[in-house]
Amino acid sequence: MAAVAVHQFAECITCHAWSPDQSMVAFCPNNSEVHIYKLFGEKWEKMHVLSKHDQIVCGIDWSLKSNKLVTVSHDRNSYVWSQEGTEWVPTLVILRLNRAALCVQWSPKENKFAVGSGAKSICICYYEQENNWWVSKLIRKKHESSVTNVAWHPDNILLATTSTDGKCRVFSTYIKGVDSKESESSSSDLKFGEQIAQLDLSVTWAFGVRWSPSGSILAYAGHNSMIHFIDDVKSNPSAQSIPLRDLPLRDLLFLSDRVVVGVGFDCNPMIFTADDTGLWSFTKFLDQRKAAPSSSRGSQLSEAFGKLYGTSKQVPSNDTVEPSKPRGGAHENCITCIVPLWKRGNTTLCRFSTSGLDGKVVIWELDIPK
Amino acid sequence: MANTIRLYLTCIRNTLEAAMCLQNFPCQEVERHNKPEVELNTSPGLIMNPVLICRNEAEKCLIETSINSIRISMKVKQADELENILAKKFLRFLSMRAEAFQVLRRKPVQGYDISFLITNYHCEEMHKHKLIDFIVQFMEDIDKEISELKLSVNTRGRLVATEFLKQFI
Repeated sequence: MAAVAVHQFAECITCHAWSPDQSMVAFCPNNSEVHIYKLFGEKWEKMHVLSKHDQIVCGIDWSLKSNKLVTVSHDRNSYVWSQEGTEWVPTLVILRLNRAALCVQWSPKENKFAVGSGAKSICICYYEQENNWWVSKLIRKKHESSVTNVAWHPDNILLATTSTDGKCRVFSTYIKGVDSKESESSSSDLKFGEQIAQLDLSVTWAFGVRWSPSGSILAYAGHNSMIHFIDDVKSNPSAQSIPLRDLPLRDLLFLSDRVVVGVGFDCNPMIFTADDTGLWSFTKFLDQRKAAPSSSRGSQLSEAFGKLYGTSKQVPSNDTVEPSKPRGGAHENCITCIVPLWKRGNTTLCRFSTSGLDGKVVIWELDIPK
Repeated sequence: MANTIRLYLTCIRNTLEAAMCLQNFPCQEVERHNKPEVELNTSPGLIMNPVLICRNEAEKCLIETSINSIRISMKVKQADELENILAKKFLRFLSMRAEAFQVLRRKPVQGYDISFLITNYHCEEMHKHKLIDFIVQFMEDIDKEISELKLSVNTRGRLVATEFLKQFI
């Protein structure tokens, strides 16, 4: 029910990804390289350093079936790395972006990947067998600001995105030739780049969008310390917004259709669960802390947030000054990335890893009641 | 009198805890650039509402946040002309050595005495709660420093005048 392992890899980690057999981890130590470490018994050893990018690598994803690594960077480039023997060979992907790329994710079938960028557009890249390269198709004109996170629906066609304009949008990324064999229905809304839904729940920047494993629930976090859950996006959307007591979240992960883990500026993963009626609520913090924050601090924080976002809340002030308490707990700085760790044979997810600006990768294990 | 400074500093500390949630964000306007958005001021969507915390008419603190940077400007108490001159000289001395402080801004924002600029890179290198401790401690110490300076100027003036006028006795 807590941190299983804590590994300090660097001063600061931007993002990380695990290999299919979970023996290797690839991460970016806040520079333009990607380091791959392998676990030999108890010790981690640096196996490879992938250095093709010019600026910070902000997104890494490791495909589980085809063992390919995709990296995107602030220098507008993306590389797909495949392991040949002991070396990793990069293939440049022409993204046709004129601003930085911000996030990347392989699709569930791993024949496509989506890149969100500061150019207010998304690139969907797929492999063209005839020319032996990765082609990108852009979805432009729908976003008003940078796209911060992308998430694929389990059906390999729908893509949800969050942006710094506060909106979460769902697009169709149906590509003839790549998806044509799998699609059952040939309805008109399957056109590439078609916006299926736009969610205006957050007044501030939105981050960390994810679909539930069944694809029926969408969740994303807003920077005003709120988390939003939307049920049944395509036909009849119904939303729930839960305000958090403390600092905002940066990323989310669905462990099952009923349990969500959120990580962010609190340096502590938060668990949200849904009860039988589908009502979501905050359950607990995952990490045991030595110093428990007092309730008055929580109310003053919410008042501070209210001032920053233009709403006003009347809360009585407190006379005592509290010096900052040292946090305790596994992470010392903001957690930026959460990655699932599937156990072979298990259908439910109970292990995941988080990485943060303190340079640590922490593996957590949780018992989920059925 | 002593009570209000505690309230003022607690309020600033809590606001900073909420506001200092920064992340690396590449510039939307210029490719391959990474600038503090609060200084750039071109995308209103990336900047939050500024918060002004006033202790009285003379002392206030302005906190402006954006997605990757936060700017804290403060106006210190200046009761008379002497404190005015001392504060100006002392804060100018500090601002000129802004590189040593890392989070200090070389020029204060218009209408204020001193400004700090904290970016996501500072939050990555240093602990957030330590940065906030530094800012709050700074605000507390500034008042003490200026009072001490004023006292020493007055004492020195009295000593010099006494010595000088002794020759006329």
